[in-house]
Amino acid sequence: MGILYGMVARGQVVLAEFSATQSNASVVAKQILSKINQGSDNNNDSNVSFSHDRYVFHVKRTDGLTVLCMADDAFGRIAPFAFLEDIHKKFVKTYARAILSAPAYAMNDEFSRVLNQQMEYYSNDPNADRLNRLKGEMTQVRTVMIDNIDKVLERGGRLELLVEKTSAMNSNSIRFKRQSRRYKNNLWWSNVRLTVALVIIFVIVVYIILAFICHGPLLSSCWR
Amino acid sequence: MSFQDIEAGRSFASRRNLINGKQDPTQAVASGIFQINTAVSTFQRLVNTLGTPKDTPELRDKLHKTRLHIGQLVKDTSAKLKQASEIDHNVEVNASKKIADAKLAKDFQAVLKEFQKAQRLSAERETAYTPFVPQALLPSSYTASEVDIGSDKTPEQRALLVESRRQEVLFLDNEISFNEAIIEEREQGIQEIQSQIGEVNEIFKDLAVLVHEQGAMIDDIGSNIEHSHEATAQAKSQLAKASKTQRSNSSLTCLLLVIFGIVLLIVIIVLAA
Repeated sequence: MGILYGMVARGQVVLAEFSATQSNASVVAKQILSKINQGSDNNNDSNVSFSHDRYVFHVKRTDGLTVLCMADDAFGRIAPFAFLEDIHKKFVKTYARAILSAPAYAMNDEFSRVLNQQMEYYSNDPNADRLNRLKGEMTQVRTVMIDNIDKVLERGGRLELLVEKTSAMNSNSIRFKRQSRRYKNNLWWSNVRLTVALVIIFVIVVYIILAFICHGPLLSSCWR
Repeated sequence: MSFQDIEAGRSFASRRNLINGKQDPTQAVASGIFQINTAVSTFQRLVNTLGTPKDTPELRDKLHKTRLHIGQLVKDTSAKLKQASEIDHNVEVNASKKIADAKLAKDFQAVLKEFQKAQRLSAERETAYTPFVPQALLPSSYTASEVDIGSDKTPEQRALLVESRRQEVLFLDNEISFNEAIIEEREQGIQEIQSQIGEVNEIFKDLAVLVHEQGAMIDDIGSNIEHSHEATAQAKSQLAKASKTQRSNSSLTCLLLVIFGIVLLIVIIVLAA
């Protein structure tokens, strides 16, 4: 949720305040203000936190000027006190000596807008706190790495498919080799049969010619 | 063909077993070294706190516990490293695994050296400084503020407080307590970041395992493609021989037809005459 209420006061005189929600934060803040100022005036420049229900009131007193804010208790301490420091600097730089003599709510019209802007900034902007920004970046890195794991798993699935397909290709190529060898052998045997047939026909033709020349089927005249 | 299938299946199964066998001891040693690194960093941070205002008996006790924890981790990791080394000597497995184990052993020795240095520095500082005993300042101020709150309750303010519900005061009235609160919150954030970095580290390790397994798959694909290439090349040479034989076959067929024609012609001439 973040910072919900901000206030600047001199002593018990409220100079500017802003509330982001409808609540009794203003009443409780004034009580806290009176409680702080009732104490000894010796403890200047203090930082205190008061818890009230689910909210915590962070108070910073510096040089007689009090800056107060109300934040969710889960919001921590670093960002609210950074907010108080920032508001204090802006207020002192803007109004300087007028702070000492200003009546109640004198700066409320102008400075409540600044309070609103800074409350938005310190509540929502991750750059307000370096640790929060680093946490966000680490979360992004983790998200990217989880995406990487998913992509690598998908790649693994595709690689398994590719292993199966290359195995099938290997089997097919082995079968292709076997069939081509068988085809070669068939052609070779066909060639051999053809050669044998030619040789037989040649022998028969020669025999017939000799039979005619030697005047007889038994080639009787050529033997003598 | 069936013999080749059995051979391929056997090599694949043995490769799978090799991967499974490799993960356990080496991964355990790497994880142990990482834990020792983290614990040594914590120990060094505690040692750097010695001699400062935050040097308390609780800190000394924490230092002692951390030292014992690191000793236990070193013992466990040493046993695992010895086990991995025995596996290397026993079964003559991959050279890359031996290189990985040697690198792990070197990392382990570096971590041990760093721990010994931190331990020596810790001993020096423990003898040089005495722990800072916290005074009774904070409790007394806290009770004082409570007394103030009690004395504030006039009837009007009491009614006002009742209207605005119960209000509890967490009073941090001096700068040291305030800064300690800020520092504690910051430390919590940093530890959260550290745990996230640890998670990212685990994710990177898982990614490395996945990529390694897929490397094995790619090796399988490569070998399949090479075998296919060889078989196809042999098939191509067989087909070339078949083509040559077929050409010779065609010429022999033509020769046979020519001779048959001549014989037929002679027979016709003889019969006609």
